[in-house]
Amino acid sequence: MIQAEYYNIFVKIIDQLAVLDFLPPVWKFILASVIAALVFFHVIAIFALVAIWVERKVAGHIQDRLGPMETGWHGVLQTLADAIKLLIKEDIIAGGIDRRLFVLAPVIVFMTALAVFVVFPVGENFIVSDLNIGILYIVAISTLVVPGIIMAGWSSNNKWSLFGAMRSAAQIVSYEVPVGLAIVCAVMAAGSLSMQTIVESQAGGFWNWFIFSKFPFGFIAFFIYFVASLAEINRTPFDLPEAESEIVAGYMTEYSGMRWSFFFLAEYGNMLAVGAIATTLFLGGWQTPISLLSFIPGPVWFTAKTMFLVFVHIWLRWTLPRLRVDQLMYMCWKVLTPFAFVSIFGIGLWMTF
Amino acid sequence: MQSVNQYFLNIYIAIKSVLIGMSITFRHLFTKSVTVQYPRERLPIPGTSRNLLLNKIEDCIGCDQCVRVCPVNCITMDTIKVFPEDDLGLASDGSKKRLWLPRFDIDMAKCCYCGLCTYPCPTECLIMTDEYEYATYERNDLVFKFTDLDPIQIAELKEKDHIRSMEKEKKKLETAKQAAAKPGKNGGKSGEGT
Amino acid sequence: MIGKDIIFIIFAVITVGSAALVVFSKKIIYAAFSLMLSLFGVAALFVFLNADFLAAVQVIVYVGGILVLILFGVLLTVKISSDNVISHLSQRIWGSIAAVGMFVLIFIAITRTNWTILDKSEDVVYYPQSEAIGIQLLTNYILPFEVASILLLAALIGAMFLVRPENK
Ligand code: SF4
Ligand code: SF4
Repeated sequence: MIQAEYYNIFVKIIDQLAVLDFLPPVWKFILASVIAALVFFHVIAIFALVAIWVERKVAGHIQDRLGPMETGWHGVLQTLADAIKLLIKEDIIAGGIDRRLFVLAPVIVFMTALAVFVVFPVGENFIVSDLNIGILYIVAISTLVVPGIIMAGWSSNNKWSLFGAMRSAAQIVSYEVPVGLAIVCAVMAAGSLSMQTIVESQAGGFWNWFIFSKFPFGFIAFFIYFVASLAEINRTPFDLPEAESEIVAGYMTEYSGMRWSFFFLAEYGNMLAVGAIATTLFLGGWQTPISLLSFIPGPVWFTAKTMFLVFVHIWLRWTLPRLRVDQLMYMCWKVLTPFAFVSIFGIGLWMTF
Repeated sequence: MQSVNQYFLNIYIAIKSVLIGMSITFRHLFTKSVTVQYPRERLPIPGTSRNLLLNKIEDCIGCDQCVRVCPVNCITMDTIKVFPEDDLGLASDGSKKRLWLPRFDIDMAKCCYCGLCTYPCPTECLIMTDEYEYATYERNDLVFKFTDLDPIQIAELKEKDHIRSMEKEKKKLETAKQAAAKPGKNGGKSGEGT
Repeated sequence: MIGKDIIFIIFAVITVGSAALVVFSKKIIYAAFSLMLSLFGVAALFVFLNADFLAAVQVIVYVGGILVLILFGVLLTVKISSDNVISHLSQRIWGSIAAVGMFVLIFIAITRTNWTILDKSEDVVYYPQSEAIGIQLLTNYILPFEVASILLLAALIGAMFLVRPENK
């Protein structure tokens, strides 16, 4: 029967287990998918726990404060305490809202954040599904977040929510253009859409990473991807959709407790995802920077690079003030997009000659 | 051409200023923080600060000045004059204590920390302390009671005072009677009748 | 392959059911969101046909682009939460003409296509075709490809012209 040949680590592991031999392959596949989803849910949850703590500490120290200090050693358990608080909070659904869409919206937003993790090449043999269209899959899944956000904003029946949703949708749709173009740069340099192939084509030292090897075009593309993806996940300085001083909390205004925490988890999941994509496309994924250090396994490198990019996200957040809407659009259409075209053109020439 | 130059200049300035900003924040990441971890460390409070009031009751002569000066009437004081057999001793400034103080309450919930009550106190027994953490769960707990007499003593004193005032009243009545009796027998007789 | 059939049926039901919801739903916003589900279901069916490239493009173009535009349009309509959105009679006529025309077109396309029936007994391994699609687009189908890009360019320029300030 029809069977696409994609490498899938969870399926491989389940195939190895003799106890599960009685299951037909499809059920094994479904089991593997469920396990993968659970694993990545926990990856996101734990990452969010750590990242929120790091973010608070970095924010504190950048502002010459200390950040959380009371719960556990230097406040490490603070996020856990907050999470428990959120879980046991009352689930408020205000009157006059569209209940069905209101309940569905956080699920969609979180699902998209989770689904992206399927194609990240964490290590040489460590990838859930090495789809042939890997990077295209990521782009496709991340577009699904826009209807989710509009759903949240509209169903809340609240003007702040609606404004936030509109802003967010407009911002994501515009910034998808430079993000897509920057991704095309890396795809052209690698000659493949598969994440694993993109990483493999950057083998052999950090000067072969796309950020350095196609200088300056690779660097421009990386820069564009980094800035535009920051805007796409609504992080400061592009956090207009959630601008507290203008529109309360944007599309999350009416949410509380568990549902709100799903939005929050999705935000941190997206941060991790964006860092991982940038690592894969431009920073060589799990490749070691110099062959001397090759005794350190690939997943460690991948995680380290991703975490560095996440740290830069946090660092930028506490450095820059928020942009105005017109500045946001100016930057997207008049700066990032033309430069992305230039670097596509440059890499195209580079690959031809 | 002008606007093209401006365009590239803008981009250059933007990138440069972001990098400068990032370097500043990075440096601040490692500077010592200014946070004082309050319950564990605390800043010394200045000597003239106004906090919780304290009445060193053994020095208080019950002169009522603090009660009268308080703009929000948060001090309540009851006094009982000493009896001839009592000796309350002297206050620290040498003035004689002539009053029992069965009640000296300061309602710190009302107090506005103006400090006016501490200035007129002749024996300097009403003072501002360093204490500023006295939050309570009940508003009534904010009424600080300073009297050094226990309730039994207070009840005895009140009883005694009552008897004394009754006697005084009697005496007054008698003197009034005598006074009435003295000028003429007529008036006295008519008074006896009633 | 009962498991696969079940998954297929689930997605088919999602696609057709939400398409029906688009047509019959009285609230215009529900119609828009059911359209999203329907388009997503179509993408899932593409995956079943091993057309993974097409599935991804379907999601990007239809959900990410067209559906978001529709949603914006819906959000900006005045009577957004009113229950009855009844179209005029003339629209009904034109609508039915368009629907019947579309149906005939697709029907002809389906009957004319030379479908290959797979032998279910043997294992056919499919390889991804994004490369093949790319080569085809830039060799055999270069003309439609270029025409489409010129059309898009014209639309872009037209949009820019429309939003230009009048006095310039
Ligand atoms: S500080 Fe001011 S308000 Fe407080 S008890 Fe003294 S006089 Fe009254
Ligand atoms: S002014 Fe001082 S001595 Fe006089 S009643 Fe008040 S506390 Fe006592």
